[in-house]
Amino acid sequence: MPDVQVLVNDFLNNLKKRKIEGSQATARQTAELLRSVISQQRVSYTNQAGALMDAVRAVGELLIAANPVELAVGNIVRRVLHIIREEDLSLTTAAIAGLGVSAISDDDDDAEHNDHPVLSAASLAAAARSTLRPPSLQTLLEDVPDSAAVPHTSSSGGDSDGKSRSADKSSRTRKLKHDVIEAVNELIQDITTCHEQIAEQAVEHIHQNEVILTLGSSRTVLEFLCAAKEKKRSFRVFVAEGAPRYQGHLLAKELVTRGLQTTLITDSAVFAMISRVNMVIVGAHAVMANGGVIAPVGLNMVALAAQRHAVPFVVLAGTHKLCPLYPHNPEVLLNELRSPSELLDFGEFSDCMDFGNGTSSPLLHVVNPTFDYVPPKLVNLFITDTGGHNPSYMYRLIADYYSADDLVVQRRPTGS
Amino acid sequence: MWWRSASFILDQRNQDDAASSTKPETLSVSPPQTQSSYMAAAEPFNQNPNPNPKISAYYQTRAAHTGVVTKDWLAQAQAAVGRHPDDVPSPGYEVETSDSGKSFSVIHEFNNWRKQPDLAEAVAAIRALAAVIRASEATTMMELEIELKKASDSLKSWDTTSISLTAGCDLFMRYVTRTSALEYEDFNSAKSRLIERAEKFGEISCKARRIIAMLSQDFIFDGCTILVHGFSRVVLEVLKTAAQNKKLFRVFCTEGRPDRTGLRLSNELAKLDVPVKLLIDSAAAYSMDEVDMVFVGADGVVESGGIINMMGTYQIALVAHSMNKPVYVAAESYKFARLYPLDQKDMAPALRPIDFGVPIPSKVEVETSARDYTPPQYLTLLFTDLGVLTPSVVSDELIQLYL
Repeated sequence: MPDVQVLVNDFLNNLKKRKIEGSQATARQTAELLRSVISQQRVSYTNQAGALMDAVRAVGELLIAANPVELAVGNIVRRVLHIIREEDLSLTTAAIAGLGVSAISDDDDDAEHNDHPVLSAASLAAAARSTLRPPSLQTLLEDVPDSAAVPHTSSSGGDSDGKSRSADKSSRTRKLKHDVIEAVNELIQDITTCHEQIAEQAVEHIHQNEVILTLGSSRTVLEFLCAAKEKKRSFRVFVAEGAPRYQGHLLAKELVTRGLQTTLITDSAVFAMISRVNMVIVGAHAVMANGGVIAPVGLNMVALAAQRHAVPFVVLAGTHKLCPLYPHNPEVLLNELRSPSELLDFGEFSDCMDFGNGTSSPLLHVVNPTFDYVPPKLVNLFITDTGGHNPSYMYRLIADYYSADDLVVQRRPTGS
Repeated sequence: MWWRSASFILDQRNQDDAASSTKPETLSVSPPQTQSSYMAAAEPFNQNPNPNPKISAYYQTRAAHTGVVTKDWLAQAQAAVGRHPDDVPSPGYEVETSDSGKSFSVIHEFNNWRKQPDLAEAVAAIRALAAVIRASEATTMMELEIELKKASDSLKSWDTTSISLTAGCDLFMRYVTRTSALEYEDFNSAKSRLIERAEKFGEISCKARRIIAMLSQDFIFDGCTILVHGFSRVVLEVLKTAAQNKKLFRVFCTEGRPDRTGLRLSNELAKLDVPVKLLIDSAAAYSMDEVDMVFVGADGVVESGGIINMMGTYQIALVAHSMNKPVYVAAESYKFARLYPLDQKDMAPALRPIDFGVPIPSKVEVETSARDYTPPQYLTLLFTDLGVLTPSVVSDELIQLYL
């Protein structure tokens, strides 16, 4: 465990100093770190899932606090928690199904000893499954069985049958961690290959002789455009330079080396050129639960221009960018202010910005926000590695990948 | 919808013809007569007709719950509009005798439960259906289901205007059908389980309100101004919780004529020390730029994701939308109904009398509808006990339940 602590501290340092660039790299490193935490965590026989979740939550809380604006960290923590719940549930239902069959055959004389209603294993498993799914109208009237009730039945079955069951239980312990780590490996795999999966769909959306507009530089967009080029579509790209970092210049260079016809424009020229554009394709920093997008600064303006001229606005986002929180949530930091030196050269403007020339506060302030919030009504399509979706469909993906209990990542108070 | 036509003069002529051919129990004065003749024509098979078809029973109950509008007031209002003198609302809504003892007791039970001001409609309906199960002598699930279906149909036809009543009945019927599909060893344990869940539903309803209050806390920030329309117990719970969490906010209440819901709501909020400002309904657009968000409840949430709520909600949603202010709806999930209104008149009419304070000439018509439909594009988010939802989720939930 000491080396895990070292790993965690290193990662925390990197997050606080903003040394890790990009949500994909952050997501992958977070997943790898949590995988180490899980594999190092000692779990007892009872309530292994709870112990694992506590460990992940403890580390997750620290990670999220280190860089609140990087929502991918929180997303991955919640995904891992959801994975633990799911694996635990599938193991438990398998165990109960096995138990249920034997229980019926052994205990039909002492059916009176059961104090809970006689339900078939299938219905109990169904009830347990429903606790994991988000609440819905279907389950509104049903009794919500405690998560404690489900392992209780399995443990009572264990007591009655002795040796064979305890052997099962120890294999279950190892199995849970094993399953969780396998699932986390799959998650890491998904994160690393998200670009390829999104790029596979490029051919459906980019057609011959189209003009595409993008802003700044996003690796997903680059892969997407190149994939369409591979499939022999000929199209042109307008790249808005994306001040003040001017990453659009890099993207333009990259596109030219891959053989695409590119035009470079300033951000302010977007409204002037948008009438000649067929589609706007951009990447995102994060996608919120209502379908709103946290995107690099300047994209809200591009989205408004696109809406004004009825140009489809397409956002490419890997599933690790999907955040179950709403933008109004106080936990969500919508923006981060970067150094003003990206805008102004300190040397020239030192007299305006200097405190030491007699006035109490400088008259010139320089603000350099990193992100923009694009409301869901301006977005036409989200392309994720699972396919193309409407902004109003995002809640479904969130329900699939996250549990409602994990929205606030906090250590549960110990004492039970 | 068949009574709509392009020319309202043609309408009037048709109305007069229809009015002259209906039974004399309809009213003497012509404008109310035409509308109630529609009501009578629309529900000829209603075996337990609402004693006062001119006024929706649902809104009568709500009016009786609010302290400001009392039954005497209602009687006075009716006299002012110039109703038939015999058409006074009977004390309480005890239905007259009916043929089958079972349906009598269902509606009787329902009304008993409904009288409690804190209880939601759907909860009262489900409790009434639980009473039916208890009193039933069926020996198989099929028989029980058939009895319940009959009871629920009679409840629904007694008051066609209440959406949460219909939704609650349907939800319970679906639950019964699904429960009977589970493998229960014997009928009695299944029956007792149904009764137990139905009685627990009251707790679920209270829990639902608390969950909704908790979910909406993040959306109320310090220093915000909230515009509220109508008196919804759920919205009141939301604001109470926010006040208890020491959030600083102020509330604009629309007056909510003719129910005067704003007055009642401002009373409650004043008790909580929340700064309240009353607006007349027409001042909504005038004050909208100072407002940060609009909070409303819902009588029913329809399949498109829109809501049916007190008259005036659509207007406020339109104004808020045009000024880019979010409109939040707080509604429990059992209010989701399988309706899809295409326009304002596409629902069962729910009428309530309006007192203008002065007698109006008999030739003048009064729009007495008590509610309107707000389409989903004007709503931002729905706070329900199933979570914070966008309007498009509603149809998903309904499909999962019913199909």
